[in-house]
Amino acid sequence: MSPAQPVILGEMPSLSKLYVNAAAQAARRRVLGTHGGSTLPDAGHEVRGVRADVGNLTAYQHLIGLSARDTLPAGYLHALAFPLAMSVMNRDDFPLPLLGMIHLSNYVEQRAPVIFTDLLDIEARVENLRGHRAGTQLDVIAEIRGAGKPDIRWTGRSTYLAKGVFLPGIDVPSPHNGRPDFTPPDPTAVWHLGVDTGRAYAAISGDFNPIHLSVLSARALGMRRSIAHGMYLASRALADVGPMKGETFGWAVTFDAPVFLPGRVALEITTGQAPDGTWQRSDYAAWNPRSGRKHFSGSVAPL
Amino acid sequence: MSVNGQSATGPQESTSPAATGATPSVRRAVIVGGNRIPFARSGGAYTKSSNQDMLTAALDGLIARFGLQDERIGEVAAGAVLKHSRDFNLTREAVLGSALSAETPAYDLQQACATGLETVLGLANKIKLGQIDSAIAGGVDSASDAPIAVSEGLRGVLLDLSRAKTLPQRLQVLSRLRPKDLAPDAPSTGEPRTGLSMGEHQALTTAQWNISRESQDELAFNSHRNLAAAYDAGFFDDLLTPYRGLAKDSNLRADTTLEKLATLKPVFGKGLGAEATMTAGNSTPLTDGASTVLLASEEWAQAHDLPMLATVVDGEAAAVDFVHGKDGLLMAPAFAVPRLLARNGLTLDDFDFFEIHEAFAGTVLSTLAAWEDEDFGRTRLGLDGAFGSIDRAKLNVNGSSLAAGHPFAATGGRIVASLAKMLQAQGHVNGRPARGLISICAAGGQGVVAILEAA
Repeated sequence: MSPAQPVILGEMPSLSKLYVNAAAQAARRRVLGTHGGSTLPDAGHEVRGVRADVGNLTAYQHLIGLSARDTLPAGYLHALAFPLAMSVMNRDDFPLPLLGMIHLSNYVEQRAPVIFTDLLDIEARVENLRGHRAGTQLDVIAEIRGAGKPDIRWTGRSTYLAKGVFLPGIDVPSPHNGRPDFTPPDPTAVWHLGVDTGRAYAAISGDFNPIHLSVLSARALGMRRSIAHGMYLASRALADVGPMKGETFGWAVTFDAPVFLPGRVALEITTGQAPDGTWQRSDYAAWNPRSGRKHFSGSVAPL
Repeated sequence: MSVNGQSATGPQESTSPAATGATPSVRRAVIVGGNRIPFARSGGAYTKSSNQDMLTAALDGLIARFGLQDERIGEVAAGAVLKHSRDFNLTREAVLGSALSAETPAYDLQQACATGLETVLGLANKIKLGQIDSAIAGGVDSASDAPIAVSEGLRGVLLDLSRAKTLPQRLQVLSRLRPKDLAPDAPSTGEPRTGLSMGEHQALTTAQWNISRESQDELAFNSHRNLAAAYDAGFFDDLLTPYRGLAKDSNLRADTTLEKLATLKPVFGKGLGAEATMTAGNSTPLTDGASTVLLASEEWAQAHDLPMLATVVDGEAAAVDFVHGKDGLLMAPAFAVPRLLARNGLTLDDFDFFEIHEAFAGTVLSTLAAWEDEDFGRTRLGLDGAFGSIDRAKLNVNGSSLAAGHPFAATGGRIVASLAKMLQAQGHVNGRPARGLISICAAGGQGVVAILEAA
């Protein structure tokens, strides 16, 4: 199936409007008892001529623990494309409820560096609707190119789960036998995350999903406390890997247990080096230092 | 990290140590003496004393001891690890407040816990090159009077407020202020890139090198016993000036025993796979204090009729990649010392004294374990085998930081002045000047080491 021509939007959609709209849509579907079918919309959304705001970039870099360089961090590009991804999942013909979706994993390829002054074309689409033992999952693909240029400089694949939603015609894979054992190693770092971690990242990324903002707003959506944004955590891990990864790399993360705020996160980063010292890959794993429960893990490697 | 590709550190190649006069083209830099104030546990006798107060006190004593009133010293260098931004010219201000000539230039230096030793090495090099004839090196730190910053939120608002031009702009900036922005931001001993405290980092290293609780307690016990004996023997009589009612380091526990140390509960490394072994007894406490060292060319010392205790032979800095745990945070000296000794054609057997800064007992023991490890010697130091071991009877013989305390930047000056005095007392050994090694680890995975010889 070749993707349909993307819908060109005049400007980057507003995330807060999208969340309000998603809540309204959820209510509508609940009242009317309808759902959006069992297929994903073919068409993606695209915004052309996007440019990063330098003040917002600096705030992001400092929040993540990066020096404020002129190159856009891979996690920042994810945040830049995120409203577009959300707008696709906010379409009336999108079959799953947007609110309450769980970010399972993310894979980014940074194929060429992007500078903050670059004009960018950003596109997002959804694909690969499939069953999950706990519901239905899909991939959101985002691509960033230089304005009017064919080459993809950054692409991300975000896998989301609509928990407890089972669509007709989509097979549910048989459950595997529990989660693999995780024995926490000795940490190489510990993060002390304040209760305002979610608000701080929301202010910069625009992702004001209520589960990240406060205890009350998180409880309204069934969480006992607010949780950190997954991409905030993954972006900090990427920053902690350090500059050895160079300007192009593949960056993978799989999310396990959410990080409740405030809290401490223990982290181990292991670096694979060739005998001559050349960087080969970095692997990271993060866990709760009290319970030993794994929060997320991933890797950074050359393309 | 190899020792410059050399394997010349084996004992077989060092029958004639070549340190003395290895660099005949430059003149010698000698240590005339030193002066420090007793070190005080934080929250103790120096609670209200600022860095400038303590550095000035140490400087006053040095000036009095060596008759430096109105003397224009070539240069004074000192520093503090915990430093307020208003103290940007801390050392120059201390000089202006002292009896030295007001025409004495000064600069601040900061290399974490290696600050004090690095001021000695930098100034000694200037003397060796003939740029200056005399110098005072030093360091000071107060954990009690530590600078506290405003929060990032308040700082941002205050800075933007100063840039706002109109009343509406000012009100708009002020409206950003939140109650949490009023909470102050105190300095911590955590490494910025890992969030782990220095003790937690050392706990990882201590576990990695399998350092036992007993051996750490024994090192701490020896430190207290040796420091107490040194005080009893009057060793510090010409190295120290009483201040604020203190005449001895207040952390010293002359009556401590191995049994008492064994009762202390671990404070670091409790969440690790290995047994937690680091206690408040075998870790240094937060401390306040200051130290100074007078350096000179031989001509200057002779012209002023001043003693020459020891020469500053050479120094070396190293750093390790600790961020992802390749090496322990405080293990840089394990690499710096082999490089320094190789450059000078020396082995560990050529030293009469070892001054290895006791940040934690585990730091000293991990460093010694690394040097004794065949695999570490081969794979990390590029040697044929283990770097070597030291005669423990030569280690920190007059006590070190576990007993004296560790006001970060002041530790280097304490060690240099004490070792210089010990070397002078020892004189010559086997027809060569007595020789001592100093090793100081520092935050950021750094370390500075140096060789001194009896003058």
